Amino acid sequence: MQTEKPSTVINILGRIRVLYALLVFIAAIFVVRAFYLQVIKHDYYQKAALSGQLKQYEIPAERGIIKVHSGSGIVPIVLNEPRYTLFADPKYIKDPKATALVIADTLGTNVSEYEAKLQMVGTRYTVLAKKLTKEQKLKIDRAAKDRNKAGSLWKGIGTRETEYRTYPQGTLAAQLLGFVNDAGEGKYGIEQFMHDELKGKSGELKAITDARGVPLAANKDNLVKEPIAGKDVLLTIDIGMQQQLEDILKAGLDQAKSTSGGALILEANTGAIKAMANYPTYNPAEFFKIEDANLFTNGIVSAPLEVGSIMKPLTAAAAIDLGKINKDTVYFDPAIFRIDNEVVKNVEEDGGPGNRSIRDILQLSLNTGATWMLMQMGGGEVNQQARIAWHDYMVNHFQFGKKTGVEQGYESAGSVPDPLNGYGLNIQYANTAFGQGVNISVLQTAAAYAAVLNGGTYYKPYLVDRTIDSSGRETVKRPEIVKQAVVKPETSKAIQELMEYVVTRNYSGYKITKPRPEFMIGGKTGTAQITKSNGGYYDDRYTGTFVGFLGGDSVQYIVLIRVDNPRIGGYAGAGAAAPIFGKMSDMLINNSYVTPKF
Amino acid sequence: MAWSDRGRRQPAVLSRGMVNQRRHKPDYQILLLSSILLSIGLIVVYAISPGLASQKQVSDNYYIGKQVMAILLGVVAFLIMANVPVRTWQRLQRPLIIVATAITIMALVLPASIDYPAHRWIRFAGFSLQSVEFIKFTLLICLASFLSNKAQNGQMADKNTMKPLLVVLGLLGAVVGLAQKDFGSAAVIVAIVATMSFIAGLPIKRVLLTAVLIVVASMLLILPFSYRRDRVLNFIHPEQNCLTSGYQACQALIAVGSGGLFGKGLAHSVQAYGYLPEAANDSIFAIFAEKFGFVGVTILIVFFMALFTRLKNIMERTSDTFSRLIVTGIMAWISVQVIINIGAMMGLLPLKGITLPFVSYGGTSVLFVMAVIGLAFNISRYTNYTSLSEVSPSRKKETGYALNYSTRRPS
Repeated sequence: MQTEKPSTVINILGRIRVLYALLVFIAAIFVVRAFYLQVIKHDYYQKAALSGQLKQYEIPAERGIIKVHSGSGIVPIVLNEPRYTLFADPKYIKDPKATALVIADTLGTNVSEYEAKLQMVGTRYTVLAKKLTKEQKLKIDRAAKDRNKAGSLWKGIGTRETEYRTYPQGTLAAQLLGFVNDAGEGKYGIEQFMHDELKGKSGELKAITDARGVPLAANKDNLVKEPIAGKDVLLTIDIGMQQQLEDILKAGLDQAKSTSGGALILEANTGAIKAMANYPTYNPAEFFKIEDANLFTNGIVSAPLEVGSIMKPLTAAAAIDLGKINKDTVYFDPAIFRIDNEVVKNVEEDGGPGNRSIRDILQLSLNTGATWMLMQMGGGEVNQQARIAWHDYMVNHFQFGKKTGVEQGYESAGSVPDPLNGYGLNIQYANTAFGQGVNISVLQTAAAYAAVLNGGTYYKPYLVDRTIDSSGRETVKRPEIVKQAVVKPETSKAIQELMEYVVTRNYSGYKITKPRPEFMIGGKTGTAQITKSNGGYYDDRYTGTFVGFLGGDSVQYIVLIRVDNPRIGGYAGAGAAAPIFGKMSDMLINNSYVTPKF
Repeated sequence: MAWSDRGRRQPAVLSRGMVNQRRHKPDYQILLLSSILLSIGLIVVYAISPGLASQKQVSDNYYIGKQVMAILLGVVAFLIMANVPVRTWQRLQRPLIIVATAITIMALVLPASIDYPAHRWIRFAGFSLQSVEFIKFTLLICLASFLSNKAQNGQMADKNTMKPLLVVLGLLGAVVGLAQKDFGSAAVIVAIVATMSFIAGLPIKRVLLTAVLIVVASMLLILPFSYRRDRVLNFIHPEQNCLTSGYQACQALIAVGSGGLFGKGLAHSVQAYGYLPEAANDSIFAIFAEKFGFVGVTILIVFFMALFTRLKNIMERTSDTFSRLIVTGIMAWISVQVIINIGAMMGLLPLKGITLPFVSYGGTSVLFVMAVIGLAFNISRYTNYTSLSEVSPSRKKETGYALNYSTRRPS
């Protein structure tokens, strides 16, 4: 039984009104707060909004492609292809394991690395895979669209398109072309030298974007500057010659048991480089797999060397041009000279002291003969006058010690010893007369021969025939004359005859096809000692070199061959380099590259 | 009282009130205001639907289509609630409890998926249902029934009244707040219980005591969990954690603030494009504020207040305690969600992950809000012409309209 106390009256209506008043009060606070945020602090938040929403993008310009001649036609040798980068924002990945599994499934790759990347903390961007092909990208897109299967797993996954270089000809002309690294910079070769013209001018996009950076539709803050595509480059290279040169060089190196070498075909009357080969080579599409950066270098322009006896015709050219001797001069050769307490003697089986002609010097490759020619420049001995005269020819006529300016990255100038300063200058200079102690590149050598043999005009060697801009306007590069009258026309003629004589006498030993009357063919071998890195020369390592020319009524092509350290008997120049020239000259003649005598 | 058989008995005062009350025209303003708020939500969802769709790689009309479907279902729910007698729900308490429990258990037992974490949803015939909405509805009916009985019998001050309330609070707090980690909904449930008890006449001392208990319990729930602590701290200094845990709060403030006086216009929201998470659901107020500015926000708040005013009027003018408590619960339900949602978007409250009634995209939310509005619409047919306080004290006894309950204290 309950007893009741006096009841307390509770005012329900009052309570309802208290509740309502509370709501009105809160509503008022909200309105005041909205006023504060939206009106008073509007500028602050507007700025904050733009700083997150307004993004500036670079619109990459399409890089120009590289083309080469193919007979009378033109073919591309470097193209662009879209590839895709697969990336993730780990923040949005809810189930890294499942997502990784689907990606691995789609791409047919390994799960574990994706899983680790998808779980990364503290980053909003992680690259899962690079350089996906269009096909792979479509697969990814299909998988992402299949929402029943894995749709939600793709939240936070995206792809980005990037242009990559492709090489329809594979390794062909690799060092000459160079490559484009992941940062989009041209490295080595044409890609490096012509980078500014190839890359074009990137455009600019300033836009309000969504959170993933996709620009939203028209907005007054948006701004677009279209990119200007890079210029296409047509090279002077002939793809047929290039292919043959590379094949012949490789076969020749194999035969000589050499592991590296280079070769060059230069047009004598223009300076246009028709083919330029290096071995060993690499695939520029897979440059990132190469560990030894030496593979990237174009040794023809970047690796000056002591060329050896192929210098002798140039020494002869200087002496003849100075009027000290003529091509029929006969002199007494003692087979040994003592200069600065050093000995100059011949390495070839020269038959000892006796009367020799200039032809003999070249045909037998007499070091003493080359030294004797230098002595004539000094009035009978190697002295300052001889040094200055020869130095003048090497540097100011033949352009040694200076970059040619060919369109290649990392060109080296080489070095010519100073005629006035230094120790043992006379013996040093005596050595330069037969190609030791002076560093010149294969290209410099070829360009100098082109000048000496074409009648005396030094053309700048070049690789870029023309550039074509995005609107189709062509800029044709004309042959550029660096120096007229490098030698007198008579000198040019004399050297041409002397070098023809060498081949006429030695062709069978050089494994060169017997010269045919309708073609002009000449050459000179060289066997240079290789310098040790700590000074001095190796006793058993040589570089075999060969300089040759081909033509009809006039000299058309200069061909240079370099064979590093061949491991066969005999002299490197004659045994290893000359046969390669032999095959090259057959190839050029048989393919009608050489215009026969009229 | 031997004949008391758990609520089926109609207390004298109550039955008199209902029987004496003639059915009249419902309050169409409730319908009008609800329709306006729903339309506002639909317009915003429509405007941002393509943007959201592009972020999620679904068709442009995916969101707006689902929202229209939800509203159509909501209209059905509204019509049912508006026409089925309110008493029916009181009789259906037991089935309601069974259904809500079953759905909650299913949500807890079924494996959580990426799209539906935290065991809050069940998926049914292509729809996902939020279990907490069933809990709230069941709570509304059962609590109204329980409290109206106690109030009619003058037992609001009894310990037997307080105990079940605390048990229900504790149980639902554990399920929703701890198991489902839905702290926002837990807060709404607490608010519903507290408001209904308050209007039913729970002594002020008990109300205050409960408030202290809830504060202590909340601290215990917040402090040990770093993500909850972060949310609270972020709300105090949102700018400091813009890139990490405070990202959403920060982006919400940017959306609201960049809206300015008149807004950027319907089509010019940027924050919806991936910057502000949950742009269509929990964050829709911020997108609305970005589009329509301070003027729009003020109008929206006025519409909500107008709706609450209509609900308050029903509370004042119904003579049936059960009905009044139902409407009280509905007002608490909707208003607390509005306060928590808008408060969070404007940086006044911590983020809770709760929808803005009528406006937010989300099927279950729309469906249940329309259902309870239908209930209020129904009850609005049985109000008196004047506020009950205006009935003269002398007539109280005859009419039984008295709004002032007397409370007996057991000695």
